[in-house]
Amino acid sequence: MEFFQNTGFYLCDYRNIIMIIIGMIFIWLGISKDYEPLLLVPIGFGMLIGNIPIFKGLGLGIYESNSVLHYLYFGVTQGIYPPLVFLGIGAMTDFSTLLARPVLMLLGAAAQTGIFITFLGALALGFAPNEASAIGIIGGADGPTAIFLTAKLAPQLIGPIAVAAYSYMALVPVIQPPIMRLLTTKEERRIHMEEPRQVSKREKMIFPVVAFLLCCFLAPAALPLLGMLCFGNVLKEAVVTERLAETARNAIIDTATILLGVTVGASTQGDVFLTGSSVGIFVLGALSFCVATACGLLFAKFMNLFLKEKINPLVGAAGVSAVPDSARVVQMVGMKEDPTNFLLMHAMAPNVSGVIGSAIAAGVLWSLMV
Amino acid sequence: MYGLEAINANNGWAISAVGISIVFTGLVVLSLVISQLHKVVDLYENPEKIKEWFAPKPAPEPEPEALAEAAADLSEAQRDDVRQFELLAKTLDAHFALPRLLHLAESRGINTPHSNLNLLLNIGIVVPDMEGYFCWDSERFDQTIAG
Repeated sequence: MEFFQNTGFYLCDYRNIIMIIIGMIFIWLGISKDYEPLLLVPIGFGMLIGNIPIFKGLGLGIYESNSVLHYLYFGVTQGIYPPLVFLGIGAMTDFSTLLARPVLMLLGAAAQTGIFITFLGALALGFAPNEASAIGIIGGADGPTAIFLTAKLAPQLIGPIAVAAYSYMALVPVIQPPIMRLLTTKEERRIHMEEPRQVSKREKMIFPVVAFLLCCFLAPAALPLLGMLCFGNVLKEAVVTERLAETARNAIIDTATILLGVTVGASTQGDVFLTGSSVGIFVLGALSFCVATACGLLFAKFMNLFLKEKINPLVGAAGVSAVPDSARVVQMVGMKEDPTNFLLMHAMAPNVSGVIGSAIAAGVLWSLMV
Repeated sequence: MYGLEAINANNGWAISAVGISIVFTGLVVLSLVISQLHKVVDLYENPEKIKEWFAPKPAPEPEPEALAEAAADLSEAQRDDVRQFELLAKTLDAHFALPRLLHLAESRGINTPHSNLNLLLNIGIVVPDMEGYFCWDSERFDQTIAG
């Protein structure tokens, strides 16, 4: 009888069942629908791990000190995994399109407006300023940045914010196209942009160093994320460090993503995750994402008032930093209007500047809240 | 506390304005810097372009029509003086120093050597070689004086 009382069947709560179902949906979305499988599958399975009902005190749960999961979760709560993910992203990213047309960087800045509008929305809903900052960063559409900032400002919200951020990143192909069609005309979606110029190897080599120095002098709190992003890019462009770049863009980012995904998923235990504030976070997260997309699009239209060579406003939607998904969505929507219009390379410029912009925004919010 | 009251109480407007401004400033400055980056790299790869900036600019070439007009206005006495200068120039190297020609003219007793030398420069018979010396343009001499 005592053995039965220690089993999951006896300890099970309806909230665990709900979270297990959500975890299964995540796994299904990742595998069957191909929505960010590298993120949704680890998070989904982590939800299964975290929602197995356990007898408290055995040192098994992620919130129990000395449990294995707790040690792995340490990398999330102390903000260790996100910079490692950024190292890998840096080692994978080609900044050529950004260097070829730097003006597109402004679209990455405009899309970050969504972060601050959502911050205001969260304050209005009664969240504390540090929590509102962590919720607002969901609009940056950058999972590692959202987790990093939340770990620093509102560690109690890591579960819902991480799940919201990654869910919306995975749902970029669903969320963005209606907003893009709503805010642009057919003629605007058909605008062809001229080929970007060739960028020399030396320019690509200098860029991460200059970007790092400039941005971190301005917002020093962005150092852990931008430092690793730019360092990863230096490894990639330096050529002589190809072996290190290879490790960063494969082994390190994969390891960090697995541990980040599984532990974030495991942190969504039904009893701590299914609360009113989680629902608020999901609603605000969706709002943040939509506002960020809209800001990017509208700013692109605003820039067209002054530019001689018009830009396709769709590329503004790639200002949210879901790399490279939002750039792919831009390409997809653009090609639906005109199959000869290839916007992917143009959209990559605001997309990577969005990564830099969201890291700066996170640094600013962190320094303003501490 | 909810709504605008909560935003005001937590300095929400100021934080948002500062945040947006910093993000924009950072990316605008970065975009300005990288928009000039290729020019800096180009200068590094082609340092001779820097030298060109500081090199003395060549004197503007006189217009051929203006030269022809000046030559047509010469008096017979001036034409004789120019012919004497031509004989002197033949005794010099192809590239010569102007003071040397002037000295020869003075020592040979040519009339108003300074004025005549200035005339030669004006009508383009004596031309600078851009390295501090001058040359005698025989073709021009033939066209304007001898012809």
